[in-house]
Amino acid sequence: MRKKEDYHLEDPTWCRGCGLFGVFEALKRAAVARDLDPEQTVIVTGIGCHGRLNNYFRAYGFHGLHGRALPVATGIKLCVPGLSVIGVSGDGDAYSIGQGHFIHTVRRNVGILYLVINNRIYGLTQGQVSPTTELGFVSISTPFGSKDFPIDGPTLALAAGGTMIARGFSGNVAHLAGLLGKAFEHRGFSLVEILSPCVTHNKVNTYDWFRENIVNLDEDPGFQPGDRTEAWKRLQDPRKIPIGLIYRETKPSYEELVLAGIQRPIGREALGVDVPRLEKIMEKFR
Amino acid sequence: MTHFKKQTPITDISVLIAGKAGDGVLFTGNVLARILKRQGWEVVTCRDFPSNIRGEATSYIVRGSPDRIFGRGDCVEILLAFDCQAVFRHVKTISPGGVVFCDGEGVAAMPDHLKSGKMFHSLLIRQLARENFAQEIYKNMIALGALSYVLDLEMEVIQQIIGEMFLRKKGQDIVAKNVQALMLGWKKAEELISDSECHALDRAPDEGRLLLSGDEAIALGALAAGCRFFAAYPICPASEIWQWLALYLPEFNGTVIQTEDEIAAMNMAVGAAYAGARAMTATSGPGASLMMEAFSLAGMAEVPVVVAHVQRVGPATGMPTKTEQSDVNQWIFGSHGDFPRIVLAPGTIEECFDLTVRAFNLAEKYQCPVVLMTELDMGQNLRTAPRFRLDQVLLDRGRLLTQDELLRIANFKRYAFTPDGVSPRALPGLKNGLHMVEGNEHDEKGYREEDPDIRIRMMDKRMKKLKAASKDLMASKVWGDPKAKLGIISAGSTLGAIVEAQAKLAEKGIKTKFLQLRTLWPFPVRETGKFLTGCRRVFVVENNASGQLSWLIKSQVEGCPQLENILKYSSIPFKPMDISARIRRAAR
Repeated sequence: MRKKEDYHLEDPTWCRGCGLFGVFEALKRAAVARDLDPEQTVIVTGIGCHGRLNNYFRAYGFHGLHGRALPVATGIKLCVPGLSVIGVSGDGDAYSIGQGHFIHTVRRNVGILYLVINNRIYGLTQGQVSPTTELGFVSISTPFGSKDFPIDGPTLALAAGGTMIARGFSGNVAHLAGLLGKAFEHRGFSLVEILSPCVTHNKVNTYDWFRENIVNLDEDPGFQPGDRTEAWKRLQDPRKIPIGLIYRETKPSYEELVLAGIQRPIGREALGVDVPRLEKIMEKFR
Repeated sequence: MTHFKKQTPITDISVLIAGKAGDGVLFTGNVLARILKRQGWEVVTCRDFPSNIRGEATSYIVRGSPDRIFGRGDCVEILLAFDCQAVFRHVKTISPGGVVFCDGEGVAAMPDHLKSGKMFHSLLIRQLARENFAQEIYKNMIALGALSYVLDLEMEVIQQIIGEMFLRKKGQDIVAKNVQALMLGWKKAEELISDSECHALDRAPDEGRLLLSGDEAIALGALAAGCRFFAAYPICPASEIWQWLALYLPEFNGTVIQTEDEIAAMNMAVGAAYAGARAMTATSGPGASLMMEAFSLAGMAEVPVVVAHVQRVGPATGMPTKTEQSDVNQWIFGSHGDFPRIVLAPGTIEECFDLTVRAFNLAEKYQCPVVLMTELDMGQNLRTAPRFRLDQVLLDRGRLLTQDELLRIANFKRYAFTPDGVSPRALPGLKNGLHMVEGNEHDEKGYREEDPDIRIRMMDKRMKKLKAASKDLMASKVWGDPKAKLGIISAGSTLGAIVEAQAKLAEKGIKTKFLQLRTLWPFPVRETGKFLTGCRRVFVVENNASGQLSWLIKSQVEGCPQLENILKYSSIPFKPMDISARIRRAAR
């Protein structure tokens, strides 16, 4: 069995108190619980403070472009389906510049675990509003208050046909680690959005603010995560932000549908020129 | 065998098929092209289609010759018009002595000066189809029958082609009806035209040649090269590469993904290539603009990805179904930052195949993005080609480490500094190979690094891969008289018109040499410099408005002499005459 230290490459240098520490800790705990093999894991990150995760968590890492983590992760998963592919984005990465990829990767149900670390602000670029920032929020980009209505990632994922939609809170590491464990087991795409305070640039959505405004569906015996209508109702509740496993259903994964031979990873095939078969195809052009 | 009295042998013929989108112009032309090819002729087609499914004017030239031809010709001898408007539109392009078939009576209204020397016939193919087969769709086969009579084509060959097209999918009845329609067209033409209007073609052995488009040749090249992952967004004129791969990749254990946009297509191909697949995307100008960001990522992260770019008329949406070469520098200078990239430009169908194979090898050997630049004229039009030599396809994956090799390495560094800049590559999922692939500047292990000294060393490491690659690139080719004082430089599908223009000029005693650039980047400075020495005048032929290739040459060749542009940006490919006339005037 692997220990937490086996995944710990380096101590993070995020701001003291950053929600990302909770995410890092929860990911390590979930990895231990699953005995995740770092050499069989690829973490694909976007651009933002979360993007440094590759430097701290021991695994294969791909740090690409802003908003493009999911297409890269899809390419990897389809070529070596046996790998655990984890995509990591911030709210700007996932819901703004990468919104198109987000919706379409959700609907394809590619077998990727996708963490969206939502701090409702652009941290790395010094505090502009993000797509999840509340109306009226004052920031360096909105000195007179934000005029954009916020959007909600899990709601978008539900509308796009998501098969596993969950939300955690970086202030509740044990619960978050549990959600990640469920996400690892899911067939197809799983979204785990993580409410995660930015202690430097967002003085409104603090740990205390989130604690007051969330409700944990996992603790509600009357809630069943397999019911779309109920999930929709909870997501739209103006009083509380639901966390926990919001929705789950079983659908074939994209890789099961599009790959000719899932047991023969494209990315591992020995290449050769199949002359007889190609000759036969060339006959079509006679 | 022939039904005509033998006349002077014909060595070049172009049939123009014209109507409206939805008439079956493309179908008719493609069948005619295949018949000519089976009779042993060289074939080139040239489409002029609107970006529209039905209703707008469309035309298609099928050119045949017993000699090697690479592009469209100067003249059209036969017009098959699906309506009278098409006759009015194209009558001026028909050579004297030409034959016009029209599905309509309206040609009687044609002014005499337009008619001069051409024969006009009403061939009511729709009416014949309805009366004889109760279905208008047979009009195309009737038309083909008439054309077959005029060209004295072999009935057996045509019937065999009909069988190949319809027997398996539609059955014997449909084959029989199509053959009847063909015979009906033949008989009608026999009634209508005189022996003097015939353009009887000789036969030659077919010898297993192919008839295919550049897009299809690229797709075949990709399959042969071991491409197993293809991601793209629909775009004219590159979609045929995809459609074709979508059909055949699964039986090679490969997959084709339709992405949400070109940004995703390029990033997905980068992800797939990183994971170990030979991965590709295909696009045209607008899609290429969206791919530029991930192009830069592939350069920085040293991921071997291949892009096929089939150019169309720009800027913006331009003319999606028309040809141009106005994206020449898009991949050479495009995107942000300095990074190595290789750009290849095929000029023939064989080169579409060969250079695609080479692109995959270069991408893996030098761990950088490789772009294959072609254009609609090559990508979508059909051309005959010798059968591709599969036994000569060699696959080279460069410094890709096997699991065993990786296990023997003590401290694997993905971006290790090496003499030629190429570092051994490990794939994710292997033991003992943990590393980072970074879009940020990074150290040898791949981790983010902003130290100025390491930055310089890493940049130099990446850039010097191009130097190593330069010995491996596709050399330029010189056509014509190597001692000539008049030089021509070009790349891509302009080749056909240039080579024919050279032949015309040679007949007039004007000697020329033509440098066909087959690698555009890294630019073949030495070859071009050598070619330019001894040239009295140099013409750069390009299908664009600003002379993009000549800018490229001037920016790369030190002491470059004055270059004269021969440009065409009307959306129509060059005719040999466009080039020969300019050079003749200049040579006077």
